[in-house]
Amino acid sequence: MNASNPLPLAATQRPAPRERARLLRSALPGVSLAVLLVAIFIMQPRAMSYLGLNLMLNLAVPIALATMAQMLIITVNDLDLSLGSFISFVACVAATVLGPHPWLGSLALLGCIAVYAALGALVHGRNLPAIVVTLGMSFIWMGAAILLLPSPGGAAPAWLQGLVRIKTPLLPLAIFVCMGIALLMHAFLARSTLGVILRGAGGNPQAIGRRGWSLLRIKAGLYGLAGTFGVLSGLFLVGLTTSADANIALRYTLLSIAGVILGGGEFVGGRVSAVGAVLGALTLVLAGSLLSFLHISPDWQIGAQGAILILVLALRAGVNRLEARP
Amino acid sequence: MKAHSFRRVLLCTALSLAPWLAQAATADKTIALSNNYAGNAWRQNMLASWDATGKQAVKDGVVAQVDAFTTAENQATEQAAQIQNLILQGYNAIVVDAASPTALNGAIKQACDAGIVVVSFDGTVSEPCAYRISMNFKQSGVAQMDYLAQRFPQGANVLEVRGLAGVSVDELIHSGIVAGAQKYPQLKIVGTVNGNWSQTAAQKAVAGVLPSLPKVDAVVTQGDDGYGTAQAFSAAGRPTPVVIFGNREEELSWWKQQRDAHGYQSFSISSAPSISSLAFWVAQQVLDGKQFPHDLESPAATVTQETLDASLQGLPKGGIVSQPVSVDDLARLKPAATAAN
Amino acid sequence: MAAATCTLLEFQGTGKTFGAVRALEGVSLAFHAGECLGLIGHNGAGKSTLMQVLAGTLAPDQGAMLVGGQDLRHRYNVRLAREHGIRCVFQELSLCPNLSVAENTRLMCAGLAGWGWRARARRAIAEQLQAIFPGHGIHPDDIVADLPIGQRQMVEIARAFVCEGEPLQLVILDEPTSSLDAGVAAQLLRFVRRFVEGGGSIVLISHILGEMLSTCDRIAVMRDGKVVQVRPAADFTHTSLVECMGHAAKAAEEHRTFVSRRHGTPVVDTCPARQGDGQCVRAYPGEIVGLAGLAGHGQSQLLLQVLRQRVRGRQGVALVAGDRQSDGVFPLWSIAQNISVASLAQLRRGGLIDPGAERALANEWQARMGIRTPSMDQPIVALSGGNQQKALFARALATPHPLILMDDPMRGVDVGTKRDVYATLAAEAAKGRTFLWYTTELEELQYCDHVYVFRDGQAVLDVPRSELTEALILRGSFQEHSA
Repeated sequence: MNASNPLPLAATQRPAPRERARLLRSALPGVSLAVLLVAIFIMQPRAMSYLGLNLMLNLAVPIALATMAQMLIITVNDLDLSLGSFISFVACVAATVLGPHPWLGSLALLGCIAVYAALGALVHGRNLPAIVVTLGMSFIWMGAAILLLPSPGGAAPAWLQGLVRIKTPLLPLAIFVCMGIALLMHAFLARSTLGVILRGAGGNPQAIGRRGWSLLRIKAGLYGLAGTFGVLSGLFLVGLTTSADANIALRYTLLSIAGVILGGGEFVGGRVSAVGAVLGALTLVLAGSLLSFLHISPDWQIGAQGAILILVLALRAGVNRLEARP
Repeated sequence: MKAHSFRRVLLCTALSLAPWLAQAATADKTIALSNNYAGNAWRQNMLASWDATGKQAVKDGVVAQVDAFTTAENQATEQAAQIQNLILQGYNAIVVDAASPTALNGAIKQACDAGIVVVSFDGTVSEPCAYRISMNFKQSGVAQMDYLAQRFPQGANVLEVRGLAGVSVDELIHSGIVAGAQKYPQLKIVGTVNGNWSQTAAQKAVAGVLPSLPKVDAVVTQGDDGYGTAQAFSAAGRPTPVVIFGNREEELSWWKQQRDAHGYQSFSISSAPSISSLAFWVAQQVLDGKQFPHDLESPAATVTQETLDASLQGLPKGGIVSQPVSVDDLARLKPAATAAN
Repeated sequence: MAAATCTLLEFQGTGKTFGAVRALEGVSLAFHAGECLGLIGHNGAGKSTLMQVLAGTLAPDQGAMLVGGQDLRHRYNVRLAREHGIRCVFQELSLCPNLSVAENTRLMCAGLAGWGWRARARRAIAEQLQAIFPGHGIHPDDIVADLPIGQRQMVEIARAFVCEGEPLQLVILDEPTSSLDAGVAAQLLRFVRRFVEGGGSIVLISHILGEMLSTCDRIAVMRDGKVVQVRPAADFTHTSLVECMGHAAKAAEEHRTFVSRRHGTPVVDTCPARQGDGQCVRAYPGEIVGLAGLAGHGQSQLLLQVLRQRVRGRQGVALVAGDRQSDGVFPLWSIAQNISVASLAQLRRGGLIDPGAERALANEWQARMGIRTPSMDQPIVALSGGNQQKALFARALATPHPLILMDDPMRGVDVGTKRDVYATLAAEAAKGRTFLWYTTELEELQYCDHVYVFRDGQAVLDVPRSELTEALILRGSFQEHSA
């Protein structure tokens, strides 16, 4: 039934609205962050200074790093529920062992990364749901942290404290670090061929496997990388707080997931954006500041934070609908 | 420690506390409370006390603005972010009930560096630039044993109900109990359980251990656990021992009921929630240029057989024995014998 | 042995078993350069298995695979296949939907690496798309998920022909035209001829007999895991091909006497959203109404429109989806559950599903549709594509709803399955059920009582079967608006 007559092709032009909607979607995290910043600057002009930005953003760095770790896990359609307790554990290691025994401490942290890589291999090899495995791991990390540091305390090594407090010119260190993470990871995930394969493994694992790449190595590698970011997050955090506590970073689990989603990532399908994730993390941190400046009663703050999240997600759903319109 | 010289300082301070003087120096200052948890009776009472004191101080023109902020999730990182926001908002003093004695140190140091007065109380912080006000928890443990030694000169079997394992306050009170046991060899600790500062947890823990214990004459506690302990004894059909209480209304009511029924005698001791008001006044006074040692000890609130009725008078349901604190009460603050960190 | 043409690879007595199932048995077949080899057979005949073996994704367990006179069966794999220039376009799309067209090209070509790989990938895929599908309208930076299924298929095909420093000798095209409309399919088939004439080799799998006969040099017919016939395409006719496959080709043109059912109140009376002249699509009780025209000209949208109306009005309606993987099957459920899910209201007993009734329903429809499976409790993904589609038909037909919408459901389905389904449709229509059927295959329109031809989102032609001719439909599909 193949008609051999020359046929005019339908839809040869790239539809412009689709293009516009996609642009809008990728701009959404940046726009929401900008709106938030403007609101904060209007509310609290003092924030528009080196000191102000530093105060608002320096705790955002460990959250941005945690978000990056979570994003790598979400890339392959998994979810890490142990991230917060893992970062707490890293902070405890850094506050207890790393100072007096640098080699032992470093070895322990490398071991943590290896455990993460092994988790990735386990999740793939045994075909286990990552949520369950990481939920179990969260108790293990927390138990280990409590064993290491039964009551809050310890001290971060002086070099670490010094490192996270470097006074950079023009803008605070936090902004440079966040930009660095975002650009580096963007280059890796979106521009490098390896990044394409890793994201492809989230989008269509069978195709990647059929093409001859080892999904086991991909997952182990991504989990290992996520563990690395978790370690960096814990180190940065303990450098800022100077001492640790077994549940210092428990809320990072949910914050990091929210950050990835706010940044335009999706739970399935390998659709993630490194730049978006960092912006999402910053948005969450600044939303907290804004609410505090607004003198919103603490009882309402967590709800208001959730409302901001829902608002941004609703906007995205709107953009998506715009995109789907023929 | 040259305690007498401190006393002299305090005396001078107390004498110079004419309200008009304070008003002149700190009328444009703002003070914020950063609190990590509001989920139990003690914290609610503490916040109410802060609120009352702060409102009155603003009305009197002593300070310009007093606010309270509570974190939603009782997490150190969240509170650190909160403190950084408070710095940004330009508060002159920040009063902290901290989630962790150490994890806030980074943020506390930033506040000090920004010229902000930081006063921590109850949950104190170890950063040296901050002030610390807390009850002498060890002493409160010793005081319980003192009372029991006087009640049981011939000796007694004592059960110890401890708090949340791994928390510094629990360790401190416990060390006071241990010291008391050494001081009075006739008091024998026959068992130890963790009541987690909760009446229900204490009742369960005590009920679990009772069958294995000999006759128990007395129970030392840490607060929010005395009523549950007493319930466990009566549920097991054991004679009610002398339970030391923690100033909670339900504990005192039960005590009064027992006293009226069969002349029950006991003793009650706990940190007063009005410590937040003390911390407020310390912050205000430091802003006013007064000098204080960085480690201060707040008095414990006690209830005895004689003061039981008076203490229950006007104590609301769910309340904790406390007393309104005025700036004059700073005179009762003593420098802590040993820094708590 | 001394063939004039160069043999790339040869199967000799190759076999493959999955448990007790012999998917391939003693297959002997050679692939030559400069030849388009057609592979035909109904679903489950072993075509896909044979192609997976050829592509290296499945290891055969019997016989030999000769490459250059050497038996490589034991170490043959994807990598080796690619080293020998063998590539495969699978029926189930193997693109990563979250990546761009250029990035998907990179996944296929290891040669695209190092600095500037993106620019090279973009150029390579754009060139290849242009060569195969001139005027394709796809940008290399488009995200695959945003493309309609036809364009995805075009990317998938073009990607297989991109060679950056890698050998390219044989490309397997497994149902390449199933999602393409007739014009684009013709472009592809012309390209296949050009590629073959340039010395390349193609293995073409298709259910469209016409394109097999016109495009292939040789055709191999498979049945039950064996190659039963290999002959030059010129020796086959439409009828002889179908006979070989084991499905006797009944003359479909028997032309039952046509009786119009256009009376009473229409079940469907809906105007396409973009219709300008007030022409509406109507379907009367007991009628099979066809929606024809080129793919993507508003037929699916009309079905959705009807679906929404009916659902909103709480009137019964069932849909047979075309895109099985994304709209149709619940991959984790059993066949029985997949069938019964639309009929749960009838299977309820005291608020719970009655397992006995569910099993009875599944077994009834297994028999009526001829679903080939040892047990209806197997996961649905264990079925071949055609049988999955039968299950989806069963799901819709098992409901009591008077109206069934079909969104090009026969895509990639074998002739035998089609015949079974057509017969069922006719029987159900005779009982008074109404069908609204979007199809991309012209042959299917002869089973319809009434046909609407769509162009640019509008129903431009409205023909009863008695007046229906292929020329009329083609004219309606392609003609510009007459003044």
